[in-house]
Amino acid sequence: MAEPYLVVEHLTKVYERGHVVALKDVSFEVRKGEFLVIIGLSGSGKSTLLRCINRLIEPTKGRIFIDGVEITKLSPRQMRKFRRRIGMIFQHFNLIKRATVMTNVLTGRLGYNPTWKTLLGIFPRSDRELALRNLERVGLLEKAYVRADELSGGQQQRVGIARALMQEPELLLADEPVSALDPATSHSVMQYIEQMNQEDGVTVLASLHFLSLARRYGTRIIALKDGELVFDGAPEEIDDRKFKEIYGEEAEEVEIR
Amino acid sequence: MAVKPSAAIDAARLRRRLFALFLDWLTWGYVAYAVMYFLQEYWWSRTLYGFYNPLTLPGWGWPAAVLGTLAMAALCELTGYSLGERALKLERREERPLSREELLTGKAAGKPFWRTQWGVMSILLLALTVALGWHVVKISPEALLNPSERAREMLGEIFPPDFRYFFTPDPAFELRGFPYSILNLMVVTVFMALLATVLGAAVALPLSFFGARNIMGVSPAGWFVYGIVRGFFNVFRSIETMLWAVVFAIWIRWGSPLAGIMALTVHTIAALGKLYSEQVEGIDPGPVEAVVAAGGSRLEVIRYAVLPQVVPSFWAFTLYRWDINVRMSTVIALVGGGGIGDMLFYYKNEGEWALLGAVMATIVAVVWAMDYLSGRLRERIV
Repeated sequence: MAEPYLVVEHLTKVYERGHVVALKDVSFEVRKGEFLVIIGLSGSGKSTLLRCINRLIEPTKGRIFIDGVEITKLSPRQMRKFRRRIGMIFQHFNLIKRATVMTNVLTGRLGYNPTWKTLLGIFPRSDRELALRNLERVGLLEKAYVRADELSGGQQQRVGIARALMQEPELLLADEPVSALDPATSHSVMQYIEQMNQEDGVTVLASLHFLSLARRYGTRIIALKDGELVFDGAPEEIDDRKFKEIYGEEAEEVEIR
Repeated sequence: MAVKPSAAIDAARLRRRLFALFLDWLTWGYVAYAVMYFLQEYWWSRTLYGFYNPLTLPGWGWPAAVLGTLAMAALCELTGYSLGERALKLERREERPLSREELLTGKAAGKPFWRTQWGVMSILLLALTVALGWHVVKISPEALLNPSERAREMLGEIFPPDFRYFFTPDPAFELRGFPYSILNLMVVTVFMALLATVLGAAVALPLSFFGARNIMGVSPAGWFVYGIVRGFFNVFRSIETMLWAVVFAIWIRWGSPLAGIMALTVHTIAALGKLYSEQVEGIDPGPVEAVVAAGGSRLEVIRYAVLPQVVPSFWAFTLYRWDINVRMSTVIALVGGGGIGDMLFYYKNEGEWALLGAVMATIVAVVWAMDYLSGRLRERIV
């Protein structure tokens, strides 16, 4: 078997304030090209887990390896450079609302360009061409010079995807990418993510709220409950009993098609 | 989630109750002071002596006052009539099931504040404060309604104002060997305000990022710089522009517009810096996260995630400051800051009321025009 691409070892995160343990000794491995879905209730630690992987949040304990590099050991400068390889999309899109779509997409290239140039707003022609290609890919080419806050939710998330594509990432972290969207738009957004996974070979880690979406798009599922890993396996393995274990006795499965 | 042990909760509650007791003590101290003041004004001086005589406490008076007010506070605390507890939201309202009738008529919401015991106490305290203030400041309606002879004379001469020296310099009024007209000095004044606002904003803008918790609160060194910058803002802002003008007038030269500009600029830096950095602290952290995740540096975070969010409010605050600076620059000459105020106070001292009227009318017109202009600009931006 090939070497796993991402290794998470005994990851623990304690928030000092309030002494909340967000992650308890979480360990798992991800192979290159997998589409791993993380499920669990709100507050179960999904977001914290994703943010530990690109160190937007500093883990308290444990080690994380990406492609053989122990990223938990990298200096801030090295980490900043490494983040170019990790794309991320967010539940609330996190776009710069008052800037144009083009500017938003170009921010995905910040890690590749010297700061003094980007401060003046200068990006190489090749970056601008890449931006247009990626906008074309998510079907927003004609919106390139529209302000980001004038777009609909689904369109904004597609801008988020184009921004992540700009990094030409090997790994994509998607933090509840569709929970702020309606069901129809959700599928269109998920399909763009699936496309990245299948055509560009990007390894995807996505947290999702709906089990039906997780089953439809994931090649593997892990489940968190109160910061602990309670399930790791194929989507088909989650039966009614498992489901109740993850979401609690009172939960009923809701379908989104 | 870890649950706090109940001992910690009890300790926290005890601390809050002690603080409530302290607040009540201060309140009763204030009431005691008011009572003493009125005693001295009426009973002590007039009834006992027939002339004004300061109230002196016997040796045991001070400890008695301190202990007496403390006892009153403790009594309030024990009987539940404590304003401090109410202020700290430490009410002891018993939980009981509400009847359907109470829910229907709205009685469940409780009495309006002014009809509760705390409301009555607050109103009494407010009344006491107004009465006390009235006597401390010695407000006298008669004096206000019967202006002095000089005021009648002055008002008679101020209308119509004499605009003789609007364009032509007044030969009698000289600053450092040169005569000035109203227009000359008004131009100087407006530019004083303009320069001070532009310079102040230019310095406050970069500084404000160093005074924002969400930008600096990533390392101990960052916290240190944050503390220093915030301290600078707070201290320099609490020293009023007029006081800065005194400092700079002595430093540079009495009556020099440069002193006025420096005074306005320093206060503008501190005031705008504080307002700016509060805006920076209030941004949506989402875009910051996104730029960091894409490998952006700290400066890139500011350029791409912070600045776009704060630019509109920065403009609004700067225009607001421009208003303040225009008004301030017209009187800063009083303490040697230069500008139109030099002329204003010269005519006032000379008793040239008609000429003074012209200067005042010009100031009013210019300040109004600038207010209007900045108001329209602000509407455009926000």
